[in-house]
Amino acid sequence: RLMPVRWSRYNPSYLEPEVKTESYQKPLEELTEEEKEQMELKAVRPIKAAPPTLSSSVFSDPMISKFINMMMKSGNKVLARSLMSQTLEAIKRKQVEKYHKAPENEKETIECNPYVIFHQALKNCQPIIGLSNITRGGKTYQVPVPLTDNRKRFLAMKWLITECRENKHRRTMMPEKLSQELLLAFNNEGPVIKKKHILHKMAEANRAYAHFRWW
Amino acid sequence: TLRLIGTTTAVLRKNAGASGSEKYTEAFIKKQIEEFNLGKRHLANMMGEDPETFTQEDIDRAIAYLFPSGLFDKQARPLMKHPTEVFPEQRKIQWGEDGRPFHFLFYTGKQSYYSLMHETYEKLLNVQKHQDQLVAQDLPLQKEKRNLAGSRWLTKIELEEMLLEKVSDDDYSRFIKLLQKLVTMPCADIEEKYIQKFSKEVPVQLQKVVIEPLQYDERGVAFSTGEGKRKTANATAVVYDNGTGKITVNGIDILHYFPVLQDREQLLFPFQFLGRIGKHDMVCTVSGGGRSAQAGAIRLASAKALRSFVTEKEVEFMRQAGLLTADPRVKERKKPGQEGPRRKFTWKKR
Repeated sequence: RLMPVRWSRYNPSYLEPEVKTESYQKPLEELTEEEKEQMELKAVRPIKAAPPTLSSSVFSDPMISKFINMMMKSGNKVLARSLMSQTLEAIKRKQVEKYHKAPENEKETIECNPYVIFHQALKNCQPIIGLSNITRGGKTYQVPVPLTDNRKRFLAMKWLITECRENKHRRTMMPEKLSQELLLAFNNEGPVIKKKHILHKMAEANRAYAHFRWW
Repeated sequence: TLRLIGTTTAVLRKNAGASGSEKYTEAFIKKQIEEFNLGKRHLANMMGEDPETFTQEDIDRAIAYLFPSGLFDKQARPLMKHPTEVFPEQRKIQWGEDGRPFHFLFYTGKQSYYSLMHETYEKLLNVQKHQDQLVAQDLPLQKEKRNLAGSRWLTKIELEEMLLEKVSDDDYSRFIKLLQKLVTMPCADIEEKYIQKFSKEVPVQLQKVVIEPLQYDERGVAFSTGEGKRKTANATAVVYDNGTGKITVNGIDILHYFPVLQDREQLLFPFQFLGRIGKHDMVCTVSGGGRSAQAGAIRLASAKALRSFVTEKEVEFMRQAGLLTADPRVKERKKPGQEGPRRKFTWKKR
C-alpha cells in the first residue's frame, strides 16, 4: 500500500546511513551478491543525515542509546546519559571486586566488561513469544503470538526500567538498582527474568487459542 | 487522510482526466486549437516577430510583458498554452450507437487496468515458455542483470495518466509486483521493450556537488571553509591542515563551550570517521539554535570543509555515513484546535 513513512520529513527514497568504518574498508572481492546490489543502490539514492546519538567512535552503541532514550524523562538527555554511565561504572566496580576476591580457577569466568554484561542481560530478558488480545464473539482472548526483534528488545528494556523505578527503596539511587538488576539478569536470575518466564508460561497455557491468529 | 510531507509535488497532483464522464467534446477541443493558433499569429504580429517561428517560450514572454501580474501563485497568472496542455486527456465514449461496448472487459469497470494485467501476464507466460525451451535444449540461461538501481517504476499518478482511468492503491501495488516478478526471471530480456514502457530513469548524479579547492593563508597552511545548518543554528567552520586537533568555537575551547560529551562526540565524528583526529585544527562560529542543534550544525560544516582535503571515494563514504546531508527535521507547527503540534486538548465528556 502507498503509505508515507509515518510522517517522516524525509522522502521515502532516502536510505539509512551506515556509520561503521569497517564496512567501508572491505575490499571489493569479499562482498556477496546482495551487498554489491546494496552498494549500487546506495550510490544512486540519497541518504538521511546521521542522528546526533549515532557516531563512528567505539564508545557509541545503538542499543545503549536506545536504552538511554527510554530512561529519559521530559527530554533530560544529560541526566539519562549520566545515570547510564554511573550504572556501567557501578557494574564494573562490582565485577572487579568480585574478580579480586575470587580464587584463581574462577578468575577467568568472571566477566568484567560492562557493555558485554549489558548486552547479555538484555538478551536473557527478551521474551520469545508474546501475548496479544484478540476479540472473538464478544470475549477477549490472550493469544500467543510471535514477536519481532524490535518488539523483543523494547519489552526487555521496558521491563528493566519499570522494575528499577517501582520496586526499589526510596533512598536507593537508580544506577545502583539498575546495576543490581543487570547483574542478576546476566546470571538468569532476578525479577525481570521471572516476568519473562511467567509470560512464557501464560503463552504455553493459552496454546489452545493459537489458531485465532490470522497473521 | 494521508499527508505526504517529504514527497515531490508530482505525487500530490490530482488526475482530472481519469475522473470519468466527458466534460468537453472533441469539436470543442478542435475549436480551441484553431483559436490558439490564430491567437499565436496575432500575438507574433503584435510583438513584431515572425508568425512562423514563434515558439512557446516567446508566447510566455509576450504574455508576461503584455499582462504584468503581481500575483504570487504562478498558476493564477495569465496563461496561453496549447489546448492539449490545458485540457487533460480524457476518454472517448466506450460504446457504439447500439449501446454495445467496444472493449470486451468493459463490464469489469476497470477495463484498461485489467487488459494491462492480462497483457503483462501473457508476457510472463511467454518468458516462461522461452525459459522451458532453453532448458529443454540444455542451453545456459542468460543472466544479464538490468540496472535496477538507476530506474524506477511509474508512480500511481503516471499510471493513471497512461490508462486514463482511476487506479486504486491495491491495484497499483499488484501491478508493480507482477512487473517485478517479470523482471526477476532470467530470460526477461525478450520483453525488455514492454518493460521499458513502465520504467523511468532516475537521474543518477543528483549529488554532483563541486568540491572547492584548498586555500592557503599567509603562513602557507592549507585551509578550507564549510557552512552547516541544523534546526535554527547556523555554523561556519574553517579547518586548517598540519594541526594538533585543537577545536575552538566562538573563541572558546570546546571543553568549555560543550560541557556535554554527546556534543563533543558529534564534533569529532567527521574527523574520527576519516581517521584524521590529531591532524587538523578547527575554528568555528555558530549562532542560533540550542545545544544539540549547534553541535549538529558544526558537524555538517566541518564535514563539508573536510571534503577538500580528502579523495572522492572518501567523500562518497562520508555521504553514505550521513555526514553530508543537512537534517531536514524542524519544529512542527502548532495547529488550531489543538494544544501543540500533536497534543489535543483534554477531552471533556460534557
